[in-house]
Amino acid sequence: MIAFIASRLISTLIVVLGVICMVFLLIHFIPGDPVDMMLGESARTVDREALREALGLNRPLGVQLWSYITSLFQGNLGTSLHHRIPVSDLLAERLPATIELAVAALLIAVAIAFPLGIVAALKKGKAMDKVSMAVSMIGVSIPNFLFGPVLILLFSIWAGWFPVSGRDGWSSLVLPAVTLGTALAAVLSRMIRSTLLDVLQEDYIRTARAKGCSKVQVVLHHAMRNAMLPIITLLGLQLGVLLGGAVITETVFSWPGIGKLMIDSINSRDYPVVQACVLLISLSYVFVNMLTDLAYAWLDPRIRFGDR
Amino acid sequence: MKSWGLSFWLIILWLLAAVLSQFMVLDITHIDLEKILQGPDWNNWLGYDDLGRSVFNRLLDGTWTSCIVALTVISVSLITGTLIGTASAYAGGITDLVVVRIIDIFLAFPGILLAIALAGIMGAGIENVIVALSIVGWVGFARLARAQTLSIKHREHIVAARSLGTGHLKIIVKHIIPMLTTPILIEATFGIASIIIAEAGLSFLGLGVQAPDASWGSMIRDGTRYMLVAPHLVLIPGTALMIVILSINLLGDRLRDWLDIRSQLRIQRES
Amino acid sequence: MNMVVRVIGCLFWLTTLVSCSQPDSQSIRFGLASAAISLDPRYATDASSVRINRLLYQRMVDFDDQYRPIPSLASWKKISNKHYRFTLTSEPGNFIGGQQLRASDVKATYDFILNKKNVSPHRGSLSKIIRIDVIDDKTIDFILSHPDPLFPGYLVIGIVPESVVKKHIRLDKKPQGSGSFRFVDWPGQDRLIIERRRDKQRIEFLHVQDPTVRVLKLIRGEVDIIQNDLPVELVRFLETKPSLRTEYLEGSNFTYLGLNMQHPDLKKHAVRQAIAHAIDRAKLVRYMMSAKTKLATGLLPPYHWAGIKTTNPYDYNPAKARHLLASAGYTKLNPLTLEYKTSGDPLQIRIATIIQQQLKDAGIQLTLRSLDWATVYGDIKSGRFQLYSLSWVGIKLPDIFRYVFYSKSVPPAGANRGRYNNVEVDRLLDLAEQEYNIQGRIQYYRKLQNLLLQDLPYVPLWYKANVAIMASDLKGYRLAKDGNYDGLELISKGGSL
Repeated sequence: MIAFIASRLISTLIVVLGVICMVFLLIHFIPGDPVDMMLGESARTVDREALREALGLNRPLGVQLWSYITSLFQGNLGTSLHHRIPVSDLLAERLPATIELAVAALLIAVAIAFPLGIVAALKKGKAMDKVSMAVSMIGVSIPNFLFGPVLILLFSIWAGWFPVSGRDGWSSLVLPAVTLGTALAAVLSRMIRSTLLDVLQEDYIRTARAKGCSKVQVVLHHAMRNAMLPIITLLGLQLGVLLGGAVITETVFSWPGIGKLMIDSINSRDYPVVQACVLLISLSYVFVNMLTDLAYAWLDPRIRFGDR
Repeated sequence: MKSWGLSFWLIILWLLAAVLSQFMVLDITHIDLEKILQGPDWNNWLGYDDLGRSVFNRLLDGTWTSCIVALTVISVSLITGTLIGTASAYAGGITDLVVVRIIDIFLAFPGILLAIALAGIMGAGIENVIVALSIVGWVGFARLARAQTLSIKHREHIVAARSLGTGHLKIIVKHIIPMLTTPILIEATFGIASIIIAEAGLSFLGLGVQAPDASWGSMIRDGTRYMLVAPHLVLIPGTALMIVILSINLLGDRLRDWLDIRSQLRIQRES
Repeated sequence: MNMVVRVIGCLFWLTTLVSCSQPDSQSIRFGLASAAISLDPRYATDASSVRINRLLYQRMVDFDDQYRPIPSLASWKKISNKHYRFTLTSEPGNFIGGQQLRASDVKATYDFILNKKNVSPHRGSLSKIIRIDVIDDKTIDFILSHPDPLFPGYLVIGIVPESVVKKHIRLDKKPQGSGSFRFVDWPGQDRLIIERRRDKQRIEFLHVQDPTVRVLKLIRGEVDIIQNDLPVELVRFLETKPSLRTEYLEGSNFTYLGLNMQHPDLKKHAVRQAIAHAIDRAKLVRYMMSAKTKLATGLLPPYHWAGIKTTNPYDYNPAKARHLLASAGYTKLNPLTLEYKTSGDPLQIRIATIIQQQLKDAGIQLTLRSLDWATVYGDIKSGRFQLYSLSWVGIKLPDIFRYVFYSKSVPPAGANRGRYNNVEVDRLLDLAEQEYNIQGRIQYYRKLQNLLLQDLPYVPLWYKANVAIMASDLKGYRLAKDGNYDGLELISKGGSL
């Protein structure tokens, strides 16, 4: 188990370093100058070079990359060129919003997907199955930059129940979380259905039924336990999709999270912030993957207790 | 199985519309300032956009965009990804290790960010969207092909073929690739749907197709600006997008069920 | 029964307590399209920050309706061409600690900016100052390297306390000014609270980027007033709402079409004239811009003290445009093709698309390239463009002409992005520079502007109007021509005076 964790950590580190370098090089090669973005149209140009020098932007790219990596290891993420505050402060300000959105979306997804998927599996072939799968199919087919505006149209503009965008109060969380969550729910419910169906075919299920366990017991205790493995794996992988979907959802709803911060920073060529956002997103993605592997290993007694 | 019929025909309609739109003399640029943001009328059943242009014409033009991007990207990703994944798994050793790391790095990279960055370097526009999405897309196929190849590599008929001295290339082409067809085909079908969504998403963020070309994604984005006064600008391209993606997903589902049954039958016959 | 009455009574009493203790219900909420970035006037350059800083800080000099500099904090006397003496008004404001603003604060602020090490973006405009001397608490001298009759007009930067400068404090997030408003709080990026000193009226600046959301918030009463940055359709939509009031004022921010003067086609004067005749500006303004948008003839509006009052010789005349192009050698088989670069801003793209259509009627094939703003701006500055459209915001002084049209003012030295090189223009600019008498200078500026209108390195489009939409119970707000928020000094809500 320790060896397993260690090897995962090392490969994770390599991947993360690779990501950092790639992002750094990419963002610096994009045309467009952050100093211009900062100073704006009408500002005089006399001290542009001085500002560039003060920010360290005139050093060779390799030097800048090295300096960035070394300060990373000291826990310094740099200062935002645009907002003039330390990047770590900016991230700390924005991160709760994204976490709030992601958790709410996840809860909604689970709340919709599990019942939908389980019922569909149990009533396979019948009307309930067809309906649930149709609903989830539609959910998969509507991208969130479409679903979001439609929800806004229906529930904000016409009905006036929820605010259109921004983040103030619980009611403003509803529409973005529903947008993000339903997309995940659609995928999840199909996965739950198919995994459960596979598990229900297994011998031990038939044995449990033959033993006289009620259907509910069978499903909950035996089937779901074994289905959890692939479901958790999928959930972990879906986090990447969730984070990607969060970028668009945050843009649609002007939700002040990391995703929107990243888009805004790319547009203003705020290099330190872009690098930090990407670092954060890929780190969390990689971290969740690692957690998934660990959970997988723990849930599967074959791995937990080693081969015997 | 009614779904099979309807979704199939809808996709055919989409493809036809895409091709036809290139031959029709569509005036997607005719501006009529009097008609800005107006809804449907007798001349234009789908209304007018923020410059008084016909929504119907632009919608039709958008079918070409979504079509060409989807088909090009999927072909490139599929071929590149499958080749790399298969070769890597087959070769094993250091090559495989390196390729796996590279795949991991790409996967740890939020796809959107990579596409945005590439669009920024190369400039926005259809061609660059295709390139960016292909670069992001090959990874999925590579991973799938690699996983499948790994499990097939040690099967008896492969080992037998090797011991007979069959060349590597022949083995890959004749034995391994055919066994990949099913999962790859299914991945491709769903891949097309997600590419259409991705292209629309990039256009929505302002990085894909640029004005004055039309893409459903950019039409939706432009439409959200006027949601208060002209909701049809969001709803019409949105509905079109949803119908096409839904049809493709349904088709993919049917395809998977059909191919699964076939492989199950084959296994039954072989055993 | 008694008990019930008592409980209800208690509840009523509690609710009144609660509503009394909510100070925010009386604050006026102003919706901003872009958030302020820095409230340190020595560094702020973006529009929102600069406009809010005008409320928080005092400045030496301000401008009247013709953009002539007038005393704000101080009046001045010209001791010699290079020596100005400023005398602070009798009642300058107080800083946070209570200490009154003194000449040493002014010196400290300007010395800080002039110091290269501090990398202030405002240093360039002050480069002629060699020395600042404090004579006493209310008197301060500025010594220049060269005479410059425009000089007082440069002293528009908000004054910060001397103690702040001495202690090397940056005021980006915690401003310390002596203006008519004092800073209260800035809890998150999107909410900035200031308080009017004279009557404790609070103003909250709420950052709402999306125009649709801003409009909805206004309709719902979550925001009380919004200004500019709205597509014209939404403004018209708001005009129909009975609970809101819409006000317009003509503006001074100049929108233009920039041409690359080194391009072989655009070098030809006939081509530039053709383009000017081919654009139907009136139609563009009618459909794309709000009411009170005025067509422009030059960088400075006609009511500017150095501006010119003239009619635009380039009326909308596609036939004349075609004729001009034919005379320059372009035919149907050999049409003029040009590329127009624009940012991703939806309004810019719409305007560009309409211009594309209009030029087509005159026989010019225009291709549009829409890129993200950072890329476009970089391309414009480096000369990688043929046509583009931008606006000059907040221009007060005629030294802008040298900055934009002098042949040596190519970026990064200046803003001559089109690489314009006109010997006569350079000569007039040099003459103006040498002329230390304001009346004399005006003559050169006038000749210059007429020449520019005739030569067309820019095709002038319009001056953007300002529009403010507010809840109908708001009184006293006045728009300003350059879009600033000074009207907040007089605004009041509801029945209160």
